[in-house]
Amino acid sequence: MVVFQAALLNELEKLYKKKKVLVGILLSLAVIVIGQLVIVGVRSGFGLRGTGSVEFPMLVLSVVVNTILPLFTALVTIDSFSGEFTQNSMRITLTRPVSRFKVYTAKIMAIVLFILGALLLLLVFSLLAGFIFNTNSATLDSLGRTVFSYLVSLFPMTVLALAIALLANILRSGIAVFFVSILTFLGLTVLSVLFSQYSGLFLTTHLDWYNLFLVNSFPLLKILRQFLIMLGYGIMFFTAGFYIFDKKEF
Amino acid sequence: MEKVIEIKNLTKSYGNGRGISDINLDIYKGDIFGFLGPNGAGKTTAMKIMTGLVRPEHGDVKILGYSVTEQYEKAMAKVGCLIEIAESYHYLSAYDNLKQLARYYPGIDHSRIEEVLELTGMLRFKHEKPKKFSLGMKQRLGLAAAVLSRPKVVILDEPLNGLDVEGMIDIRKMIQNLAEKEETTFFISSHLIHDVELTCNRIGVIYNGKILNVESTSTILKNYATLENYFVSEVERNGRISSSAS
Repeated sequence: MVVFQAALLNELEKLYKKKKVLVGILLSLAVIVIGQLVIVGVRSGFGLRGTGSVEFPMLVLSVVVNTILPLFTALVTIDSFSGEFTQNSMRITLTRPVSRFKVYTAKIMAIVLFILGALLLLLVFSLLAGFIFNTNSATLDSLGRTVFSYLVSLFPMTVLALAIALLANILRSGIAVFFVSILTFLGLTVLSVLFSQYSGLFLTTHLDWYNLFLVNSFPLLKILRQFLIMLGYGIMFFTAGFYIFDKKEF
Repeated sequence: MEKVIEIKNLTKSYGNGRGISDINLDIYKGDIFGFLGPNGAGKTTAMKIMTGLVRPEHGDVKILGYSVTEQYEKAMAKVGCLIEIAESYHYLSAYDNLKQLARYYPGIDHSRIEEVLELTGMLRFKHEKPKKFSLGMKQRLGLAAAVLSRPKVVILDEPLNGLDVEGMIDIRKMIQNLAEKEETTFFISSHLIHDVELTCNRIGVIYNGKILNVESTSTILKNYATLENYFVSEVERNGRISSSAS
């Protein structure tokens, strides 16, 4: 466990020192500011009601889970694997007394913590913006639902990170991984529209699964089904990715 | 004498026909073992297998009694190494690079990091990032990383690459000092045959993926004027045998 902690701490330090976190904060802020400006503009310009104080964070979430969050996940994952493969800096860690399983798990864990951090940051900023600019009163219940929605969004993002980590271990070049990821993402989105009856099987449709928790009837079975599908994907991606990583020669 | 590194039937072949076949070697405590061979003979392949970067097809390497393929963490616990080019994270300072590594070893703290930086003459660059370092400076940082954990075994692949004369002398002194005072065992490959002659007390010659001979430096120097003569004669003898056989 001590060795794993060391590996995790190292991965987090690398992420932090690469200024990725700073870029993350700035982009998250930009999303909120732009979103808020649009809403304020719509409200004052057209006399329309934009969103309430708690609705605003949900609006932000619905936008980011399909745009900047997957993009960010991809960039950080590609950097963590392909970046180190091409610079040969993987050797620095691999020649230390730490097993490849711990290195792989620590990398994934650091990426998950990064996504969690980004989600929490978005939550706090969008809540603040919502309270400052929108005077509608918020109930504790709706606030709880908002926080919950942000937290459950971590799960599909983790599966996405595992899928990209697998790709990064198959293809050596980071740019190739990035393009294949984007094309697959777009392909799956199109496929889920064309074959809507099978869309539940595609990872891209799971990104906004938090919506399931907001339905008043609470579709437990549907939530469980999606959870298990994602879990299955996650386990397969992790196992396949680690298998290739473990066999790799550096 | 206590065996520190035990290489048994090590075999690994690449698609291009190169690689190593059936290598057997025993390295004893306090040895400074020089691993000599022409380009492409399999030195780096052997060293990569020893440090777990590449897996062997057959055979195994045991370091301090632990198998590298099966008990990696235990085998590497007291090993420091530098394989091919000294790699470092170019966005972290020299100090932070070593701090990352120090986390894997209990008892290696701030003062030890400063100590190895001083030992390799890098202390004044500790806050600088390696992206601006010369090849020699990167190599020094790589050597600092290799000895950081006070290892009992140090595996160095071409440690003098890119170093200036002063650097070579410094590093040679450091190696001899560690071997004498702390009984650190070294396994060093190098092209710089004169330096191997001055530093190492046992020499193994590898040619075409096979070990030709292992001999102590003093015995070699009794029979040959220089190590270079010995090396050339070993390689030529084998080159002749393999060419006459084919």
